[in-house]
Amino acid sequence: MAEFFENSAHLHILLNHVPTVGFGMGLGLFLIALLKRSESLQRTCLVIFFLVANVAIATYTTGNAGETVIAARNVTVGVTEGSPIITSAGGLFSWDAGRQLKIGDAVYRIERYASADEATLDRPYAGPTDPSASARLLAPFPVSSSAIRRHEDAAFVAFVLMEVTGFFAWLALWQWRALSRLATWNLVVVSLLSLATFGLMARAATLGGDIHHEEVAYQADASVDGTANEGTGLARTIGGFVNGASGQTWVWATCETLHFVGLCLLFTVVLLVDLRMLGFMKGISFAALFQLLPIGMLGFGLNLITGMMFFIAVPGQYVHNVTFFWKIVFVVLGGFNVLYFMLDDEPWRVGAGDEAPFGAKLAAGSAIFIWVAVLFCGHMLPFIGNAF
Amino acid sequence: MDFLARLEHSGFSVWVRESGSLFAFPGILLMHTYGMAVLVGIIAAVDLRILGFAPALPLKPIARLFPLLWAAFWVNAVTGTILLIADATTKLTNPDFFIKLGFIALAVVNQRRIERRVFGDPQLDDRAFPPGAKRLAVVSMVCWLGAITAGRLLAYVGPVAGLK
Repeated sequence: MAEFFENSAHLHILLNHVPTVGFGMGLGLFLIALLKRSESLQRTCLVIFFLVANVAIATYTTGNAGETVIAARNVTVGVTEGSPIITSAGGLFSWDAGRQLKIGDAVYRIERYASADEATLDRPYAGPTDPSASARLLAPFPVSSSAIRRHEDAAFVAFVLMEVTGFFAWLALWQWRALSRLATWNLVVVSLLSLATFGLMARAATLGGDIHHEEVAYQADASVDGTANEGTGLARTIGGFVNGASGQTWVWATCETLHFVGLCLLFTVVLLVDLRMLGFMKGISFAALFQLLPIGMLGFGLNLITGMMFFIAVPGQYVHNVTFFWKIVFVVLGGFNVLYFMLDDEPWRVGAGDEAPFGAKLAAGSAIFIWVAVLFCGHMLPFIGNAF
Repeated sequence: MDFLARLEHSGFSVWVRESGSLFAFPGILLMHTYGMAVLVGIIAAVDLRILGFAPALPLKPIARLFPLLWAAFWVNAVTGTILLIADATTKLTNPDFFIKLGFIALAVVNQRRIERRVFGDPQLDDRAFPPGAKRLAVVSMVCWLGAITAGRLLAYVGPVAGLK
């Protein structure tokens, strides 16, 4: 069970179908809804776009976990008798039992996974005694790491566009409630964005399949060299800019500051909407509170952008971090939670002075729990998990 | 300087800094973050409303949250003081720390003014805000933004102890 949380690779295999298949079905239905001028079907599709964009956060972040399991890596090992201690693995590696480690010409099999940076080999190790001896962790099957880079870059661009689509879909749903109709300009924006997102996501999925689905197409360049193309590509370039690869700390510090500003804006809405539903400030009607929701979405958007900046800067410190795992779980739950307030008619009947119905109180209570938990997990990343 | 060093080397400060307990540095900083979210979260709602967002939202009922707002402020005053004495020689020699305190002092005075001038009006929500309300809201937002920024930068500029 613990390994499940430390290794989200299998989750990526599960979740990667949501942005392609889920979004594709949403897009197909959306085009039909536009042709038929069916507003209720259009709204349904907007909900699908928002939910897929929400789950795509987990799809993207688990992708880097997947990489650590299949990609071959150069590692540095400091060796005592029999049991090598990894001192540096470039931040990303999987040290699971059964993997092979090549040191010089000799290939060893890892017999037992001990901890995040320790493992036992299947036979006594008698290699170099130099503590900085270089070794290579071999992929369990031939994998092209340049194929991984291509997939990552395609997925990054598609992910950015999908989140923008999700934002405008959410805004359209908000406008429908606040202005009691779907805004035409926004339907045009969502149509264009969703078409582009689908194309880019299909490309990312195809490139992802190329990584090791041998039945699809086995690339001739399938080298096991984990260093091929290292550090290139869009996501890695932006990541390097954020993590201060060339010595600057201001980008990271600025992102952190904006992350705090964003969480305050998010809490503005969490506190007002949810405390009202729970019985404070009964003089406010739900319809009045609803006008505040875009402020919370703005805060969330700011934190999604800055949070992803941290993630692509140093993915290795997050993907095997149990606190990060739970943070993403709660963020995705938060996306589901807000839909209650967006879609259900129940809270809309809460006028000034009214007691909120039980369903609204339940949703409000869970919203507070979810966002307090997100903040807790984010704060504890370096203290409970292994980040920083 | 000697006084600061004595503060920093007291048993309590050492426990906060070095015990490794989740209730020490991580837990106290967590409370400081929750306090910030509640304090600035509520204040931002009032400021943005005065500036014209969410025009249907009545302000008067939000005064019910002021006790929560000030409770969060005092949580942060206490946790902030603990974090300060645990790291006294570094923080109290860092100009950025005094910039942060300056922003907070200004923001507190400004917040009391908003509570008196805007919320003191018995006909609040029934007529336009008193003159100067928008200016108070802008000052409030600028001060809290400044306090958050200066606070975060304590980990980066001036003397830095390595505690983040």
